[in-house]
Formats: sequence, C-alpha cells, structure tokens
Amino acid sequence: MIITVLVFGRYKDFAGKDQINLDISIGNTLRDVVDAFVKVYPAAEKDKSRMMVTKNKMYASYDAIVSNGDEITLSPPVVSGG
Amino acid sequence: MNLERYRRQILVKEFGQRGQETLSKKNIVIIGGGGLGSNSANIFVRMGIGTIDIIDKDTIDITNLHRTSLFTQEDVGKSKALILEERLHAINPEAHIRGINQKITKENIESFVKNADVIVDGTDSVSLRHLINNVSLHYNIPWVYAGVYETVGMIMGVLPQKTPCFQCISQNIPESIPGEIPVLGSLPATIASIQCNETIKLLLGKPLAGLIIYDVWDQCFDVMNIKRNPDCPVCGKK
Ligand SMILES: [Zn+2]
Repeated sequence: MIITVLVFGRYKDFAGKDQINLDISIGNTLRDVVDAFVKVYPAAEKDKSRMMVTKNKMYASYDAIVSNGDEITLSPPVVSGG
Repeated sequence: MNLERYRRQILVKEFGQRGQETLSKKNIVIIGGGGLGSNSANIFVRMGIGTIDIIDKDTIDITNLHRTSLFTQEDVGKSKALILEERLHAINPEAHIRGINQKITKENIESFVKNADVIVDGTDSVSLRHLINNVSLHYNIPWVYAGVYETVGMIMGVLPQKTPCFQCISQNIPESIPGEIPVLGSLPATIASIQCNETIKLLLGKPLAGLIIYDVWDQCFDVMNIKRNPDCPVCGKK
C-alpha cells in the first residue's frame, strides 16, 4: 500500500518537499517505514535507529503496525547538546 | 522596579506593563550554564525576570567560548555558575541572581527546583533531562527543554499533565552519544532565544508552540504538534 508520510527538519531538504509517499506492505511496522525512507534518502541512514516517529500525532514505537490512513511523521532524533 | 529600563519592551502589546510586572515576581532555575544556559540567562536577566538560579558544577573551558555568552578567555578555569552570577548581577542589579556551583543529582534536584515557577534546560545530557522531566512531573513544575546538535536545535515547553513530556518524545534516544557533540557557535544563542520566548509565554500563561525544530543552516523551521502518549511511563496514566 502507498502511505503518505510528513517529514520534518532536514528530512524536508532530503526529500525536497514536506510530504512523501512510500510503498509498504500491509502489516508493516513503523520500522519498515523508516527502512523504506532511508532506502530512498540514504542521507538519513545515521538516524535510522533514533528517528522521532509519530503515528496519528503521537510518538510511537518502531514496532507499531501501520494501517491505511494513519498519519505518519518522521523527524530527526531529539538533540541533546547544550 | 525601574520601569524605564523596560520601556521599549513594555511597548510590545503582547507583553505590556502587566507582563513586565509578572516577570519581576517570577523565579526561574536554569540547569546548566553552558551554550544554552549562559545565553538564556543573559536574555532572562535583561528581560526582567525577578529571581534566577543557575546551577552548574563545571568550570569554563576554552572549548566553551565559541558558543557561550558573557564568558571571556580570562574566565577559563573558573566556575561557570559563579561567573554568570557576577556578570548577570552587573547587567541588572535589581534581579536576584544565585550561581550554584554544584552537580545536580537525583538526590538533590528537588531542593534546587521546588520553588521554581519554571525550570529552564541548559544541560547537555539526555539523562539529566530525564531527571528534570521526572521532577517536573512529580512536583508539577513546568520546564522548557532545549537541545542542540551540529546546526539543529529543538525546543519544547512541558506543562505537566497538559502537554507531552520529554519521555513522550524521546523513547528511542540513547542516554548518551559517544564523543563530543558538534555545535555551530551561533546555534545555542538562537535556540536559547526561542527557548526564552517559550519560557516567557509560559510564565505569562500563554499557549506554547509544541516541539520546535530549527535548522539554522538550512533556515528550516518546523513546529510539530505532538499529543501526549497515554502509555508514557512518566506522564501517562499508570
Ligand atoms: Zn510523557
């Protein structure tokens, strides 16, 4: 299925737009969404295990299942320098 | 209070004399006096916050100077908290400033923050932010997270039980990132300014923006509207 993903921060630059379509399978998780994103935009590879991912405006675990119509967002990891 | 000092700020219609008087009665605690904390302290004391505590056990290092405010090369080796106390007092003698040269721990954090109207994040570690988050939720004290990395900064005000907490947005983040964190010198001042705005709005009872993500290199500014996670181990329903 084709899902629409909103992207934030530098991911918008990688994509050249603020929303992208990714092709994933039914029953796939957010981890699969992250993998699909990194495959298309390898510059995001270093964030792969730490990305901030939300599903329907809520922070979600990589194990969460994605259903048709879910609003998914991907953002760079929370930053911790001071 | 010498209102003349704040005349140009009082002219701002969103703020006004009432805003100024409110700030003069507020008590903020800044945890960390480095890139973020020194810049936010500098702004807060000029804007007229009544009482500011700055807690930091570190001494000033030559590698801090590219991104901090108020420190000079002569200060290298001296206490960040105590130098900030001295400089902030010189900027605005009406403000009550306390530099606290101590390390924040799980055991002592409560004693430092219990009278705060808001806690301001100037730390450089994820674990310390989790500690602030826990104490904020436990004592119902709002705090304003900010962090920097390379050219990216993030800011989020946390109103306990009303907005998402730090744990709600950071479950995938490791407690520490190995090595030194790269930071563009202009970044902490920019992010601290936005953090100050969110803090002032919070103190004046205005709504907060959500999670702000700003890349100063690409001039890419985003505000994410995230909901509280009902299963959050810190702020969720137990
Ligand atoms: Zn939470």
